[in-house]
Amino acid sequence: MFAISTESLRKSFGRVKALDSVSFDFSAGLLHGLIGSDGAGKTTTLRLLAGLLRPSAGRIRYFRDGAPSAFEAMRPSLAYMPQQASLYPDLSVAEHLEFFRELYRLDAATFRKRSSELLEITRLGKFSDRRAAQLSGGMYKKLGLMCALLQSPSVLLLDEPTNGVDPISRREFWELLYGLAAEKILVVVSTAYMDEAERCARVHLLDSGRLLASGEPRAVLKAAGARSFEEIFIRSAA
Amino acid sequence: MINPTLRAFIKKELRQTLRDVRMRVLLFGAPVIQMTVFGLALSTEIKNIKLAVFARPDDAVAERLTERFYASGWFKPVLFSPTDDPYELIDSGRADAVLIAPRDGLGRAAVRGDGRMQLLIDASNATKGRIVEAYAKNIVAAFIAREYGPAPPRPFSFDVRVLYNPAMESSLFLVPGVMSMVICLITIILTAMSLTREREMGTFETIVSAPLSDSEILLGKTLPFILMGLVVAALVMTAAWLIFGVPVRGPLWEFGAASFFFVVTTVSVGTSISSIARTQQQSMLGGFMFLFPAILMSGIMYPVENMPPAVIAVAYLDPLMYFMRLLRNIMLKGGDLHVFLVNMAALALMAAAAAGLAYNRFRQTLN
Repeated sequence: MFAISTESLRKSFGRVKALDSVSFDFSAGLLHGLIGSDGAGKTTTLRLLAGLLRPSAGRIRYFRDGAPSAFEAMRPSLAYMPQQASLYPDLSVAEHLEFFRELYRLDAATFRKRSSELLEITRLGKFSDRRAAQLSGGMYKKLGLMCALLQSPSVLLLDEPTNGVDPISRREFWELLYGLAAEKILVVVSTAYMDEAERCARVHLLDSGRLLASGEPRAVLKAAGARSFEEIFIRSAA
Repeated sequence: MINPTLRAFIKKELRQTLRDVRMRVLLFGAPVIQMTVFGLALSTEIKNIKLAVFARPDDAVAERLTERFYASGWFKPVLFSPTDDPYELIDSGRADAVLIAPRDGLGRAAVRGDGRMQLLIDASNATKGRIVEAYAKNIVAAFIAREYGPAPPRPFSFDVRVLYNPAMESSLFLVPGVMSMVICLITIILTAMSLTREREMGTFETIVSAPLSDSEILLGKTLPFILMGLVVAALVMTAAWLIFGVPVRGPLWEFGAASFFFVVTTVSVGTSISSIARTQQQSMLGGFMFLFPAILMSGIMYPVENMPPAVIAVAYLDPLMYFMRLLRNIMLKGGDLHVFLVNMAALALMAAAAAGLAYNRFRQTLN
């Protein structure tokens, strides 16, 4: 099982402080939610964790079964799904799976098993010839998730996967994430939807690059004396 | 066995590029159309030059010479009266050139060894003027050889020889240049746009976050375009042979090797452009900013030797110049090994330098 923690993590882009001395603790096998409005620093955090950015200060520590691990050693077990369209509009569902299969160097038997499992749980099997550009918002996000899951990662970083997706597809997507957390995969998902915070095992509330609170959703609400997560953000802004 | 990552990228790029009918037409149809249009439009060959010949009516030699002029296909007769002023004919545009035979007849003058004729040429278009002059010299030289034999003494002082392209067909000279231009254009623009498109769409992050090395990603994104560039090279060469009748006198392996190093260079330039450009439009613009000076300094249209020394120094850094020289050498001259090796060495150096730059720029983009 993998875990990640950060110590006084800072990231600046020129004069803009995207993250200001933030310490996270993403404990193993749980579904973590990075909650915050636009510009809070969610994407920067995920990109730092995925090794796509280097911290301006502070450090990120990775753990495997409780022992410290180098990033390079855990990179093959890490999957990242960017917020933007991360798929090729002119390739079909099947062609995406084939491309990522070769990218992740999966053997034929593992690929067959894994892709049929994924097509079944995402219910995209009957759309395998459809091009990504012709998929609905929800199906598109599911295909993105499927490509990320193809390599059976132990750490899954998802940047606003439910953004712009209809409520029914959102619920289905979260059910998929619960299933992953049940398999002891460390899932870190960012969202700007406050109602999704309660679906997570741990929440980390980010505002303008600062960490407002971290912990179990109910405990965070209780400690803040707030009835909802919106209230915490509104108070912080005031 | 090819590395699975590279295979994945090659399949993906080929699928994406070749799936769309418009893209297929652009990739394989456009080079042939461009080459045909450029080959014809850039032609320096001039036909239908209006020529008036002033000679005595009983001057048989001048009459035969005039016939040679008109039979060449480049010149056509002009209606005029012997009393017209030759300069006025040119001034008014009724004639592009006027040939004036000696007053007492060309035949007699030639016997005296004094066969001086006057040729008035409208050189308001300097290039056209020079070409008309060259045509006239050629025709007169051929005429002298026929009338008086090849041995000296010659009654006229022309001595013109045209090598490799005896008919002075400009397509033979221009088509290899146009071929290198088309290959350059296609490979630079395709590579630069594909990489920027990937970044613009956000798919680049997905690839970068996969457990792949920098060189695997770079090779994966460039190798498909090197392959497509080589296919386009073979295609335009076949089209040059079929449409313009340009021969391939040198060995094909020389053509293959030259094309490979050239395409590696242009794909690397495209990669470097994409590392600076943020959008596909910027990539396209960047591509053309490289292409225009590269074409102008390559010697395709204007001889490099005529340029100022500072420009010549820059032209030596132009991969298009070496490739164009290699193509002319291979296709027209039979691929002289010394010329091949010298230009090939320069092109290989350039390919290595461009690939190194592309790799560095690409790594910076990744990081």
